[in-house]
Amino acid sequence: MKLFKQRIKPYLLLLPSVTAAIVFVGWGTAAALLESLQDWETGEWTVVYYHELFTNPVFWDSLFLSFSTALLSTAVSVVLGLVVTRYLYHYFRKNRWKLLVWLPMLVPHLVAAYLVLLFFSDSGLLSSLLYRFGWIQEMSEYPFSVQNRQGTGIILTYIWKEVPFVILMLLPVYYQLNSNYEAVIRTLGGGSWEVFKTAEFPALAPVLTETGIILFSFTIAAFEVPYILGVTYPKMLPLLSYQWYFENDWSSRPAAMAVMMVTTFLTLLLAFLAFGLSQRRRNQMSRGK
Amino acid sequence: MFKNPWKKCGIGLVGIFLVAIFAGCTNSESGQTDEHSENSASSEALLEQPWEKTEAAAENSQVNLYMWGGDEGVNRYIDNWVAPRLKENYDITLKRYPMDITEVLQKLQTEKRANKETGVMDIIWINGENFKNAKENGLLWNSFSDKLPNFKKFIGQDRADLQTDFGTPVEGMEAPWGKVQYVFFYDAAHIKKPPQNFIELAQWVKENPGKFTYPEVQDFTGSGFMKHLLYDKMGRDVLENELYREELTNEHGDAVWQYLNDIQPYLWKNGENYPASLTELDRLYSQGEVWMTMGYNEARAERLIEDGTFPETTKSFIMEPGSIGNYHFLSIPFNSPNKAGAMVAINELLSPEAQLEKMQPSVWGENTPLSLEKLSEADQEKFKNIERGDSVLPSEQLEAAYLNEMDPAYTEWLKENWMSEVVQTTH
Repeated sequence: MKLFKQRIKPYLLLLPSVTAAIVFVGWGTAAALLESLQDWETGEWTVVYYHELFTNPVFWDSLFLSFSTALLSTAVSVVLGLVVTRYLYHYFRKNRWKLLVWLPMLVPHLVAAYLVLLFFSDSGLLSSLLYRFGWIQEMSEYPFSVQNRQGTGIILTYIWKEVPFVILMLLPVYYQLNSNYEAVIRTLGGGSWEVFKTAEFPALAPVLTETGIILFSFTIAAFEVPYILGVTYPKMLPLLSYQWYFENDWSSRPAAMAVMMVTTFLTLLLAFLAFGLSQRRRNQMSRGK
Repeated sequence: MFKNPWKKCGIGLVGIFLVAIFAGCTNSESGQTDEHSENSASSEALLEQPWEKTEAAAENSQVNLYMWGGDEGVNRYIDNWVAPRLKENYDITLKRYPMDITEVLQKLQTEKRANKETGVMDIIWINGENFKNAKENGLLWNSFSDKLPNFKKFIGQDRADLQTDFGTPVEGMEAPWGKVQYVFFYDAAHIKKPPQNFIELAQWVKENPGKFTYPEVQDFTGSGFMKHLLYDKMGRDVLENELYREELTNEHGDAVWQYLNDIQPYLWKNGENYPASLTELDRLYSQGEVWMTMGYNEARAERLIEDGTFPETTKSFIMEPGSIGNYHFLSIPFNSPNKAGAMVAINELLSPEAQLEKMQPSVWGENTPLSLEKLSEADQEKFKNIERGDSVLPSEQLEAAYLNEMDPAYTEWLKENWMSEVVQTTH
């Protein structure tokens, strides 16, 4: 009975969620993997699609854009979210402020991307304001571009959407921080940076890592924001995959699947690395190093 | 250790979950086989039996229509005019599901692979390369169009312009629903005299930098624009009703890319970004960022002017060497659960009344595939008296400029090369 309680029961309890993960995610991934490894007409096994992919500059441009966009928007969101939480978490005890800062989370990504377009495009609100004040004479003089090859609009949208998410993840950590640590550091003459580094960061690090991975894997694989704010070339990976998948004669479908497999592999790799790092840090801490 | 009642619940839930999975599996399997046998037995007979029997079989049934849902006017026509009419005349409940045709075919392909003989779609809206794909992959049911009374009466099997759909033989696998021609739209407040040919267009683009663009090649309208350029550079005689010839693209390809590269720096956003879809181009046009838009359906601006999306000064024009036109069709998937209902509904959509309503500019505005001379005199009068609106070119001018769609292999050639020949060359 003890064996059951300690060994088997946890697995049983996890079964529903694990089953769902295996059935839906696992099955989909496996099907995609199989399709990317089979000739689209004969069904014979082949790695030719991966070979073509890795020798195709279109793919590398997409990969670079996706990677840099995802990395940048994740990094900025995490840092901004951390700063906001750090300095304002006392206010967030009141629901009013908390709701206000979480508001962007209620807006779907698709809508958020359109909002960015609505405000910042050449014929958007900002442009017509500038025009009204006489700062620009014509629409084409409008200086900002949200739809460009650097993915500015995409990054902007993600930051606006994800900062509240970072705050959501970090708030509980700050609420649980032992305020005695801060007192000790202050008494010993430590400044704010010392407080953050010694008392707060060790508790924040695992949550920050987790949040970063969630954001990164979402941004690199999401479709709707780059669909609205992306440019014709280069396209972000999900759009490239979609385009190849729905091309006329279906001969590019395995390649489209290969793109998704590479994306999945990248995210998983990153997740393992990050979790591994934070796990090691945790072990070190528990051993008192 | 305290006892947590939720844990017990959790284990119970796991059990229920597993049972539900197995129950679900067995249920759907048995249901499927039953319907399957009934379905295939009756589906062949449908093509033999008299029409009255088909109508009787369709009575009190539901027909699921899967179609592109991006046009509110079209959606309203189906929901508010066609559906009530089918209910009243045939006791058929028509349900419209908005879905892009590529996704429709994807779904059917998946069902085909899984041997799912009873699907969910009864009618799909299709043409061109998608029809070719669907037909070649066995996703369509059968040759049915010449069993429809309205098709026999008002269209007929021998119409020369309806033998192929973008070069793919139709063979009764789909029934024509509408006819459209590709035109350009412009804002007459900014443009006094629209260009008459591609040379004048290039001049205009250079004189008005940033005010013109076209959708990227993946978009139907974008490749349509480029196909007109092909007609211009290669000539009508080698493209119309001819098969794809590689030496033509080898010989004239450079001229096509050169033209597009030549105007690129003067396009919207200096040609660094092209609209991803016609919707996007229309948005730019409606907000005055560009002064021209385009598209299949010579009358599509009417409703957009009416609801205030397009400026009231919107007019249309066509250029040398002409205006590509095509038909779009309705078809029945191989695993439609209600083929009788689908046939009755399609037949009704081909009736003069339904076609007349569809052609009203405030409804949809597009042209009909019916042969007008086969209609009653009263109906002919009604079709001729439709006021299509100021933004629509006279029908004589459109007919005189009519160009057939070319072999779809040219579209593939455009799609394979445009990105590298035009877009990637700028950096």
